[in-house]
Amino acid sequence: MTLASSRPIELLAEGQAKYHPVDPDGFREWVRDHKSRAMVSKLMTEKEAVEKLVADGDYITYECNYLTRGPNLVINEIMRQHKKDLWVAGKFSYPDVGLLVAAGCVSKIDTGFFLCTPGVKTALAEGRVEIFEYSNVVLTMRLEAGAQGIPFIPIRSFGGTDGFDYSGAKLIRDPYTGQPTVIVPALNPDVAVIHVQQADKFGNARVFGTGISDVPAALASRKVIISAEEIVDTEEIRANPGLTSIPYWCVDAVIEAPFGSYPGTVPGYYASDAPAVMECMGAVLRGDPQAWLEKWIYGVQSHREMLDKLVGASKLLDMRKREVIKEGYRP
Amino acid sequence: MTQAEAFSEREMAMCAVARMVEDGKTYWAAGGGTPLYSVLLGKKLYAPEAQYVTEDGVIGPIPMLPFEPMMAMVAARATYKALSWGTMNTAGYYAQLGFLDYGILNTLQVDKHGNINSTFLGEYGHGGRRMHGPGGADTIAACCWRTILITDQEKRKFVEKVDFISSPGFLDGSEGAREAAGLPRGTGPWRVVTPWAMYDYLDRRLRLIARSPWVTVDEILAECDCKPLLADTIEVMEPPTDEEVQILRTELDVRGQTTDAAGSWIVWDGEKYVKGT
Repeated sequence: MTLASSRPIELLAEGQAKYHPVDPDGFREWVRDHKSRAMVSKLMTEKEAVEKLVADGDYITYECNYLTRGPNLVINEIMRQHKKDLWVAGKFSYPDVGLLVAAGCVSKIDTGFFLCTPGVKTALAEGRVEIFEYSNVVLTMRLEAGAQGIPFIPIRSFGGTDGFDYSGAKLIRDPYTGQPTVIVPALNPDVAVIHVQQADKFGNARVFGTGISDVPAALASRKVIISAEEIVDTEEIRANPGLTSIPYWCVDAVIEAPFGSYPGTVPGYYASDAPAVMECMGAVLRGDPQAWLEKWIYGVQSHREMLDKLVGASKLLDMRKREVIKEGYRP
Repeated sequence: MTQAEAFSEREMAMCAVARMVEDGKTYWAAGGGTPLYSVLLGKKLYAPEAQYVTEDGVIGPIPMLPFEPMMAMVAARATYKALSWGTMNTAGYYAQLGFLDYGILNTLQVDKHGNINSTFLGEYGHGGRRMHGPGGADTIAACCWRTILITDQEKRKFVEKVDFISSPGFLDGSEGAREAAGLPRGTGPWRVVTPWAMYDYLDRRLRLIARSPWVTVDEILAECDCKPLLADTIEVMEPPTDEEVQILRTELDVRGQTTDAAGSWIVWDGEKYVKGT
């Protein structure tokens, strides 16, 4: 190695906010010690998955949101188990961050976009939650760095914003171009929760349709919970390997979860239950979600019981019927 | 094409943006409201070969309209018959690589240099009003070659300096400020459209270039806390046509939420357009 002299990396500016610690070697060691390379069944219920894999204080990311292919059954279970002090990646979220705050589960939010409900505003004013500023793409790029096992990633956005000052971003003079370039810290969440259309019992998972950052989130996270509309045989996975989005070795739990995104939609499988979506949005936007939480979360033991008691087969069949588009969602 | 006899103010702004849509150009529409419907209207009537991208990385869908409520992204109807599906990461790549010609955004607050605030009203962290955040708009404003901003003409929305820069305009207005902050060169705000007015930028300063037929320049300026520069000639914008409002109401925004059907209306009184009551 020759000592560099021509273009030193120069730090031009940096955000002042705290960020989830960056530790690529620590992550590798976690993978070495905790991620099973053996093909073992990871099937469990959402109750078992949350008990086993979500700890108070964890950094958690989930894919999409409560309205579209969200892992709603796991988000609901986290609230039901009263997990505390979570740090949540509020990218492309919707009412879900507000629900988690209302349930007392969250103390830190990286955002992105979230519905800033009266409950979140009150929690902010009372110092029960802190917010750190990014954007949706900046957060998914941070996950991408996490997924590559590198400590940070240069990006072409975010510079010049006030969000930059309240984030973990830095502005450096890039040694290759000599230009000012924004870098953001890799994000390696403790937990990723992802709802997919199909998975086998080992965790080989198929996402059909668009998404936010399913694959980077699965690769970047220490503990990965997959819920799937359908559990398929591994022979089916092997028959079309190009459809595997997430490989089994990332995955720590697989939950069989038909209608797991209820009341939201899973593209190609079922449309949303619009009145139930509005009931949820209304509850968080009015600032009184406690009755909603009592009814939909605390009043039942599981997602399946919720579907049985509060929704019913007739409505579910109707949601399935209304999702007329199948192209691209069936192998 | 006959001019519509009655339309909402928001329809006026959306139709003005729809007419800017060009064949062979790419558009990144922020979220699923006025930006997306403006592009869809433009494609239907004026530029069928324009392509658009949404935050979930979908390229060129032929959506099955209308959408279900709040289902403009990561939903089967919104992403139907796309050329390619993707993710937010791929949307970010396309923007960083320069594939996206125009970004269309909306916001609550904009300043004379085109900076956008969707995060916080008031002094950050001290009381004030927290909002939902930039979502994908920061990347759109940073990386698309040109951005079009849709907002309402209100004094509190056009300010000297935004309380918080969520998405970058020309920052402090100095030459090269965006590049010095790490943003790609040659990008930035291009137009601002309200129901009453259209603006461009001269030397990175907001400039009024057109007005709606039912307002005067003075009325517009009265609804600007920061006073824009004035073009030598202020053009008069064409009101929506029957065809435009019909498509908006019957195919795109059938519930009237995005077009703000419950809001302010403009009506033809037999001689001129006047504000409805």
